[in-house]
Amino acid sequence: MAKKVEVSNGWTDKIYYVTRISLLFSVILVFFSEFNPARIFTQMNKNVSLLTAALSYNRLVINIKYEINHNYIFKSDIYSLMIASGLMVVGIIAMAAAACVSLGNLKMKRISNYITVAGAALGLGGVVKMFMTYNLYKSIDDEIAGTVGFNMAVDRVPLALYMMLGFAILQLLCAVMLIFLQPKPAKDMKCEMISSYKLFLMFLPFIILAFLFSYLPLYGWRYAFFDYKSGPGNLTLDSFVGFKWFQSLIDNPMTRNDIIRVLKNTLIMSGLGIGTSWFAMAFAIFLSEIKNGPFRRVVQVFTTIPNFISWVLVYAIAFAIFSNEGFINNLMSIITGTEQHRLFLMEDTGLHLKMLLWGVWKGIGWSAIVYIAGISGIDQQLYEAATVDGAGRFQKMWHVTLPGLLPTYSVMLLLAVAGILSNGMDQYLVFSNANTKDALEVLDLYVYTLGIGAGKIPLSTVIGMLKTLVSVVLLFMANGISKTVRGESII
Amino acid sequence: MDNTMQEGLDLKLKKPYHHKRKVKLTAKDVVFNIINYLIFGLFALICFFPFYYLFINTVSSTESVARGIVNFYPVDFTLQHYKDMFAIGDLGQAFFITISRAVIGTALMVAASAFCGYLMTKNEMWNKKFWYRFLIITMYFNAGLIPGYTNMLMLGLTDNYLGYIIPAIVQPFNIILVKTYVESIPAELEESAFMDGAGYWTIFTRIIWPLSKPILATIAIFGAVGHWNSFMDSMINMQNSPNLQTLQHKLYIWLNQSSNLGAVIGSSHSSSDLENIVDQLNSGKIIKYTIAMVTVLPILVVYPWMQKYFEKGIMLGAVKG
Repeated sequence: MAKKVEVSNGWTDKIYYVTRISLLFSVILVFFSEFNPARIFTQMNKNVSLLTAALSYNRLVINIKYEINHNYIFKSDIYSLMIASGLMVVGIIAMAAAACVSLGNLKMKRISNYITVAGAALGLGGVVKMFMTYNLYKSIDDEIAGTVGFNMAVDRVPLALYMMLGFAILQLLCAVMLIFLQPKPAKDMKCEMISSYKLFLMFLPFIILAFLFSYLPLYGWRYAFFDYKSGPGNLTLDSFVGFKWFQSLIDNPMTRNDIIRVLKNTLIMSGLGIGTSWFAMAFAIFLSEIKNGPFRRVVQVFTTIPNFISWVLVYAIAFAIFSNEGFINNLMSIITGTEQHRLFLMEDTGLHLKMLLWGVWKGIGWSAIVYIAGISGIDQQLYEAATVDGAGRFQKMWHVTLPGLLPTYSVMLLLAVAGILSNGMDQYLVFSNANTKDALEVLDLYVYTLGIGAGKIPLSTVIGMLKTLVSVVLLFMANGISKTVRGESII
Repeated sequence: MDNTMQEGLDLKLKKPYHHKRKVKLTAKDVVFNIINYLIFGLFALICFFPFYYLFINTVSSTESVARGIVNFYPVDFTLQHYKDMFAIGDLGQAFFITISRAVIGTALMVAASAFCGYLMTKNEMWNKKFWYRFLIITMYFNAGLIPGYTNMLMLGLTDNYLGYIIPAIVQPFNIILVKTYVESIPAELEESAFMDGAGYWTIFTRIIWPLSKPILATIAIFGAVGHWNSFMDSMINMQNSPNLQTLQHKLYIWLNQSSNLGAVIGSSHSSSDLENIVDQLNSGKIIKYTIAMVTVLPILVVYPWMQKYFEKGIMLGAVKG
């Protein structure tokens, strides 16, 4: 496709680098709760970002309900705080939009300058409004601090508010400078943008989404280095403690024992999974020996269905079949003629094996599909040649089909080894009860019960973090092995 | 692996695979066949029977279920349990939440994957390689459960319906699937449209979207099943909003009440109480079966028709390896 050439407008284009880069920093102001310009009350929830402050009244007041109920802080001022936050957010969004538009030709650049001016004005308006609210409560504090006994407004203006101010002024200056210094576009110039930027802008929303939900969570690793306080729907970082929580993994005997037990469970389950991973391949090989098409299709449909139901439903099924009054107990009653009430799901023997069997029941039909595809990809001439050489059925399965599938199997195996610490928690969560908990708690489930259940956020973050790091290293190692042995990467 | 797999895919799409066998069946072969058929038949039965067992229990009377005689066929056919279930207030809400998130979430995910997949075939994009890797690399690391939760908290998506939808829009794996598919569409089609003055958006909506429908159907089914089955996000992110719980989450809560009721029975000594509770337990058990049945039904009904799409999806994924 034909490419349009970007026309340079001399040194004025360089100014846009300043606005664009400063815009990236403004993201911090919008999303990161530590840099929230709107945090002007001492008691305010420290986990609220500027964006949340602009959107959600409930979250904004979650920790200052007391002050509001006693009319120390007026509701109207909370609303003006929200409006100020909203102005800043809208301003930043406008400036971001302007930065996108500025990727176009001179005409579009001119338009973007005016949008930037408008956005910066909105942002400045928000800053001024916020300053006013802050000063109001600062002066109230000075008057009645003695009688109330605490300060409502924070001691100093939040640093982020100054950052916001500086940022808005910078953008404003740049835009005004551009308006005066940029060459004027020809009258008949149309809005145009070169395709490479156009495509990038189309893709930008998805980059932002990926950033928000895959990269930004890494910022949550900071919980591993802090003490914290928690309230309803609310977490607050307290003080930096360095590697205290890492240390406690080793020093605290209870945690240490838990970790050892959990790691043992994890490795046993993964080991069993890896050790039986060839089942799927065998399943595919033997299934392909069935020549009756309809029968094979029925088998395939029935055996793959369990893969598409959730573990909760698997547990519902386990409940129906194995519970106190489930199918097996009914059947036993009929056979033996006496009432049978064996609590299969409460028994704590052979749990790892049982979990493996559930896993096989759920997953084998589906895992086999990739091998079934692999078998249909094996060259038919190989089979014919083997037949001519006098090979029987089993010899062909062993010497032709199996070697044909081994490359696929080795990839699956390497991926399984790389994921040795990740068993997923759904299965173990649903099958957990008072008797089975100890043997079923794998690493993922432990992180869940520790973090969400017991509220030990830093410790569970530490464990999750270490798990992620080890998994990534394992994946790269598996990839390296694959590259050297097979000459192909698996990721 | 790539080539063999692609050929295998083509072959499979044309006709099911059969060995060409000219040798007559020996006695050994016959025995093998019988055993093979038996084992697979048995395994298929083990996979299927639990669903059937759930079903017959939900359409039999409470009394016959309590007597333990409903094992292979329904006794005293009734639909009462389904009526009872819908009388439980908050289930309707859970249904609504689950269905709406499956529909909206899947639609947005498919649209996004289609568009991204198309954009990712455009080499003239500014720093395309970098952005493609930026996206794909997210498949291989995960900040972890708690950082994910604190992130949702920070973004204000906890106890918020949008928390089901927005994080699931960008799915790198699905984007790869679409990208691979779009690359197989002849480039001439696009070029001639471009010559006629069509822009990227027009080309996408008029050419790419209609031609990619098979792969879009595949990822739509993957996405819908994922939404339908998800309960961890409901458990973790919607802790304070019972009215946002998904159906699976509700089912999980119901299933766990059994152990509580069991505990009540264990500690109770009065026999009249006990009878009462056993009654409750029995109807409670059937209600659980019924909820499970209703939850699994869409998948059971839709699945056999969709299987070929699923298979195509996993094979294309394997091609990428």
